[in-house]
Amino acid sequence: MIRDTSFTFRSARLGTVSKKETIQKWTTGAGSWANVPWSVFSRYSSALLLLLVFCTVTVVGLFAIRDLRRADLEEQNMFTRSVLSLHRIAALQYQTQETRRSTLYALSTADSNLHVKYADQSREADHLVSEGIAAYLANARTPNEIDIGRRLQRDWSAYLSVRDEVLASILEGSTKEAVDLDLTGGVQSFDRVRHDLAEIERVYDQQASQQLASVDAISRRTILRVAGVLAITLAATIASVWAIQRSRMSGAIQLAKLQMEFVASVSHELRTPLAVISSAADNIADGVVKGKDELRKYGAAIQNQSRQMTELIDQILLFAATRNQRNHFVMRALPVSEILHSALQQTSGLAKASGFCVELEIAPGLPLIRGDASALVRCLQNMIVNAVKYSGKSRWIGVRAFLSDTELHGQREIQIAVRDRGMGIARLELPRIFEPFYRSPAVVAEQIHGTGLGLSLSKSIAEAMGGRLTAVSELGAGSVFTLHLPVVEDFQTNTDEHL
Amino acid sequence: MRLSCCLCILVALALLPGVLPRGTLESAAYPPEEKPGERNLAIVVNLNNPVENLSTPELRRIFLGERGHWPNPYGRRITLVMLEPGWPERAAVLSIIYQMSETEFNNYFLHGLFTGEVFVSPKTLASPEGVRKFIFNVPGAIGYLRESDVDKTVKVIRIDERLPDDKGYKFHVPLR
Repeated sequence: MIRDTSFTFRSARLGTVSKKETIQKWTTGAGSWANVPWSVFSRYSSALLLLLVFCTVTVVGLFAIRDLRRADLEEQNMFTRSVLSLHRIAALQYQTQETRRSTLYALSTADSNLHVKYADQSREADHLVSEGIAAYLANARTPNEIDIGRRLQRDWSAYLSVRDEVLASILEGSTKEAVDLDLTGGVQSFDRVRHDLAEIERVYDQQASQQLASVDAISRRTILRVAGVLAITLAATIASVWAIQRSRMSGAIQLAKLQMEFVASVSHELRTPLAVISSAADNIADGVVKGKDELRKYGAAIQNQSRQMTELIDQILLFAATRNQRNHFVMRALPVSEILHSALQQTSGLAKASGFCVELEIAPGLPLIRGDASALVRCLQNMIVNAVKYSGKSRWIGVRAFLSDTELHGQREIQIAVRDRGMGIARLELPRIFEPFYRSPAVVAEQIHGTGLGLSLSKSIAEAMGGRLTAVSELGAGSVFTLHLPVVEDFQTNTDEHL
Repeated sequence: MRLSCCLCILVALALLPGVLPRGTLESAAYPPEEKPGERNLAIVVNLNNPVENLSTPELRRIFLGERGHWPNPYGRRITLVMLEPGWPERAAVLSIIYQMSETEFNNYFLHGLFTGEVFVSPKTLASPEGVRKFIFNVPGAIGYLRESDVDKTVKVIRIDERLPDDKGYKFHVPLR
């Protein structure tokens, strides 16, 4: 029974919620991250794994690069410091020796002019030593270095005092006095200076060793990190390849399983009417059927079963044509009421036989839609047949057509919603119901027959018409399947299109 | 008679360059540009020497080597520094202070060292720069330089309370 009524489309079991909220919550392919089923994760596991690998490798790689740069900088600094330190200490040692050498060379001659010349050389060298000591103190960082530097400065000043007296004695011509002075004072003070310089050299050696150890540690850490990165990369790559292969295999196995189920289902769907036809034909051939009325009844049964087989085969062929993209749709402007009434007429027999009450509501003044009439009727037929099949104990179906508040790609759209109060669809199953050959395990358990092609076909047709097919459902409460079609704004009729 | 006069003149001419101060002939022919203080002969000592003034007799005693040490508390050994023969400064000192010729000067010190009358013979340096450096290095040294050759490394002392620039200063040297 079809009732044309203007009732408010309200779900008693679903609650009074806005269509938009419900659609946003349950529409296939949409939804918050909290509701994404595990099947989505498992489907994209390989991509997620690759992403994880990429992020890990990038982060660790950045750390490794940072360590390498730090090690390189440390090495450069160490080299520069070591070279400068070596240069500094070598210059100090040389000039201190020069100071003393020039002084003692003056002892080897009696020429006052040469005495003056050697005195000059000695003073020039001691001036360089003083500068070197000042430079060392300026660069000294630790208290130990400063202490050694100051001690060197004191000892050097002490030596210079003796040196000046030795020089004066030499220039005066008192060689013996000069030698005595040098032996008693000069040698000891100069030894202290040499000892201080040796200590500075030891400090530089220690610093160089520490820096070398530091660079070595950084290098080892970097090598370990790089090795770790390579190992992680290798392991993750192997894991990714394995996951991808496994995912493909499981997908292929799943598809093969679905196809086998489809073949089994189609075989059953075809065998049942064939059995009826065969039985009726046998009875007629055997002369069991006697009267015209009985003959008419058998004929009607054969007609009915033949029609069912034809519809099933048409559906399969249409599905195949849709998948191979060899459809010829005749696109024209259509009134919604025309296709709705046509679909309801096609399914009236089934609805009547099952005792269903179909409530139809078409909003007044709806604009035309664009599409192929027979394809759209087939689509709506599938939706209504599904509503009948999965209504369970309910015997009510609602069909409503209205102009939507939302727009599709900037165009106004008309929505044709088919609602039932049947078994509903589980949350986890909802994303998969439009897959070809897919049948929910719950439906198979209920022994509800089907090929798994109906919704896939309807979705293909809806998209071919420039629209879409959405589903909203609550397990145990019912489902709403909505066909969204763009409104005709300006269209040329009778246009053939390959889709 | 005539012949002997001519001979005397010739000998005198031959000996003239050795007698005249160096540069005199040249200076007569080509007068150099004079620097300030170039004609004044400064008596210089080490910077640490506390002596500020000497009288001419004291100066002469020192230059003759009759004093061995500076007065206490300084007490350093006196070392006399001379320029090599040929320098106008040396000639001026020989003339003004020693009032001797080169030969007399050399004989004096040889004799003095031998007899012990002289404590130390002077040191001879090749150039005013050498004199400066010597005096700088030797605390008890004393020498002489043209005032224009003096720098911050040596100290000029007064002679008879007069500095080289003062009026009445007695020690001058011809230009080089």
